[in-house]
Amino acid sequence: MAKARSYDPDDYSRPLRRVLVGLLVVLMLALFLLSRIDSPRVERFRTALIDKVVPDLSWAMLPVTKATGMVENFQSYARLYDQNQQLRDELQQMKAWKEAALQLEQKNARLLDLNNVRLDPMLTHITGVVLADSGSPFRQSVLLNVGTRDGIHDGWATMDGIGLVGRISGVGERTARVLLLTDSSSRIPVVVQPSGQKAILSGDNTMLPPLDFLEHPDQVQPGDRVVTTGDGSVFPAGLLVGQVALGADKRLRVVLAADYQRLEFLRVLRSYETQPITDPGALLVPEPPKPLPPGFQGPLLPAGGLPPTNPDAPATGADTATPDQAVPDGTTGGRSD
Amino acid sequence: MIRNWIGSVWLHRLIFLAVVAFITFLRLLPLDTSAGHLPGPDILLCLILAWMVRRPEYLPAPMIAVVVLAEDILLMRPPGLWTAGVLMGAEFLRARSALTRELSFGVEWLLVSGVMVAMFLANRVILVLAFLPQPNLGYALVQMVWSALAYPAVVAFSRYGLDLHKPAMGEIDAYGRKM
Repeated sequence: MAKARSYDPDDYSRPLRRVLVGLLVVLMLALFLLSRIDSPRVERFRTALIDKVVPDLSWAMLPVTKATGMVENFQSYARLYDQNQQLRDELQQMKAWKEAALQLEQKNARLLDLNNVRLDPMLTHITGVVLADSGSPFRQSVLLNVGTRDGIHDGWATMDGIGLVGRISGVGERTARVLLLTDSSSRIPVVVQPSGQKAILSGDNTMLPPLDFLEHPDQVQPGDRVVTTGDGSVFPAGLLVGQVALGADKRLRVVLAADYQRLEFLRVLRSYETQPITDPGALLVPEPPKPLPPGFQGPLLPAGGLPPTNPDAPATGADTATPDQAVPDGTTGGRSD
Repeated sequence: MIRNWIGSVWLHRLIFLAVVAFITFLRLLPLDTSAGHLPGPDILLCLILAWMVRRPEYLPAPMIAVVVLAEDILLMRPPGLWTAGVLMGAEFLRARSALTRELSFGVEWLLVSGVMVAMFLANRVILVLAFLPQPNLGYALVQMVWSALAYPAVVAFSRYGLDLHKPAMGEIDAYGRKM
């Protein structure tokens, strides 16, 4: 049809156009190649871009999310009677548990008192609101509205009220991405409670991630508690993950304690790596104190925060240093939460 | 009125961008964060192919590239690969717009489904070659089948919701040229 006409501007622009589109495709493939060669840089760019775009959408996202939640809650009125019965039964059981818990709490308090145990004061948390999810059925992650300006670091553990949800993976200025335990690239060292068996919880894009590398699977029973270990300094030890269950494929899987149906508020645990002991000399002779990094705020590692006028203090922590000295970084002061 | 100010082509481009923004917004809403759901259709892909069959001049290649690349980045896919696939699929259809203009809808549906499957396979092969982790085959196939099934719905929406139809016999564009 076009050839029947004597003059058609497309006849001249078409070959040029084809070259340009070819260049565009090559450019995209080069970008993909670049992301394979220099993955961290591309991921940083991705984080920065999401950081720019998504928080500006939150004014629209939050109302829609809330409205949908309200509609779903309203639909649950239809099952009001059943739920009421169920809640009554559960309440009955809970009363028994409450009694047991109170007794255990008293016992625990007595034992802690006897042993003079101090709980780790470094475990404080920052709470963030879920802004967006990954948007893809093959990735399990959510975006929180806290970022580097709130002091979030890569790798910190994230919990909802009860159990572990995931870890921070990718931090922008205003946002941080939480890689959920169900994502197929999530690997977490855990320990199964009564038997003390260590395992790796490896997500596989289902709601029940399996336990891998169990040494003695026969010692693990369905119903056992699964908590994190401090191994590899990935996470602080002892965070509740869930309960063991036997999957339909006869694998040991974990029923996660966190409520994944509706992740709304998540708390990010500030965790500080324990300093590894590399040379034996530092144990005997205290190292000269390191200067504070510029612009650093918040609690410091004890060994790095000692004032320089205190050469004969033991290197075991700022708690044993003389308390009347002015601590420049506010380590002993109130911790913002 | 707007049509007179900016012309029909740019009006439709703006409409396309608005629809894409809305789809992406819906996908990012954190409504259900539990894993293991069956994936739904890739509406953006259906939309691009449906518009490409009807009015290729509304979708310039750079616009497709920008839109799909933005989706790549927001949805945590390796950037660029799927964009290149969509570009090539769309250009394949654009080069055949004289042919597709005369096809019945059934044949067009088959052709577009074939293009989708080819894009999907090429994407998967390159992911394997690059040693990248990828979703398991069953889930990915479900998404592809859903996309093919959703195509008529997207076409119906574009046709009756956005008044996007193939150029009729003797229709002329804004410059008075035959289409």
